[in-house]
Amino acid sequence: MKRPVIETFLSRLDNTLRWTGIPARVADAMSDAPSVDRKHRPLRWIPIWPIAFSCALFILSLTWPSALGRVSLGGVILALVPSLSAVIVALLPVIHMNGPLGKPSLEDDEREAALRKDSFLFCLGLLACVNCLGQPFLMILSHWQNWQTAHSLSVAISALMLNATLFGSLPTLYASWNLRQLPKE
Amino acid sequence: MSLYNRISVFRAEQGISRRQLAEAVGVNNQTIGYLERGDYKPSLELALKIARHFGVAVEMLFSFERFESIAMTLKRAGEDE
Repeated sequence: MKRPVIETFLSRLDNTLRWTGIPARVADAMSDAPSVDRKHRPLRWIPIWPIAFSCALFILSLTWPSALGRVSLGGVILALVPSLSAVIVALLPVIHMNGPLGKPSLEDDEREAALRKDSFLFCLGLLACVNCLGQPFLMILSHWQNWQTAHSLSVAISALMLNATLFGSLPTLYASWNLRQLPKE
Repeated sequence: MSLYNRISVFRAEQGISRRQLAEAVGVNNQTIGYLERGDYKPSLELALKIARHFGVAVEMLFSFERFESIAMTLKRAGEDE
């Protein structure tokens, strides 16, 4: 007998969700004896891609703004890719974006919480420095080069994308390079 | 300031794995590894929990000075006798 289409679709959705491993992790965390051997996988190279991409986009908007205006659909994709990549990187489990900064969350112990706090402090400190130095620089540059409104707008949007990408990827990058490989027991 | 510890010595003496110690004190087993290697300084709470698990004073496990090697301790104990 042929199974109904809706049932097949729902069972596929269930299988997809199980494949992510999230239901097993939730069940483990909610059990009476949650396991302690979970590992945070260091991501040393993946976060570099969205950062490099959004840096390239920012430089492109500064030096060659007509290139972004000419290909409107391509420009949108170019702008979306780094920020989406940053979100994906942030969701990958090196450090949890949604965990509290100062104290262990449901899953994280004190070392992981301290690492997360250090990572965010580093990231926010760096972002503050970059923005404090970058804003006057951009203002002087716009005045010096007589930027049009469209040019200023594209630089502002790409700067926003760069900020979002750095905020999403830098903590993961910092935490990953801080995690040294442990020898097997 | 460096903080030295001999968790691995006590663990080896009692024959327990990192995972068992981690379960007993409620941390990730990677944290025990980083602690043993001196890459992470524990909170007072965690240090006391580990000391209580081994049934020793916290000074026996953690110190600002390097711990004497086991060979030296045994040698000194032999000389005292």
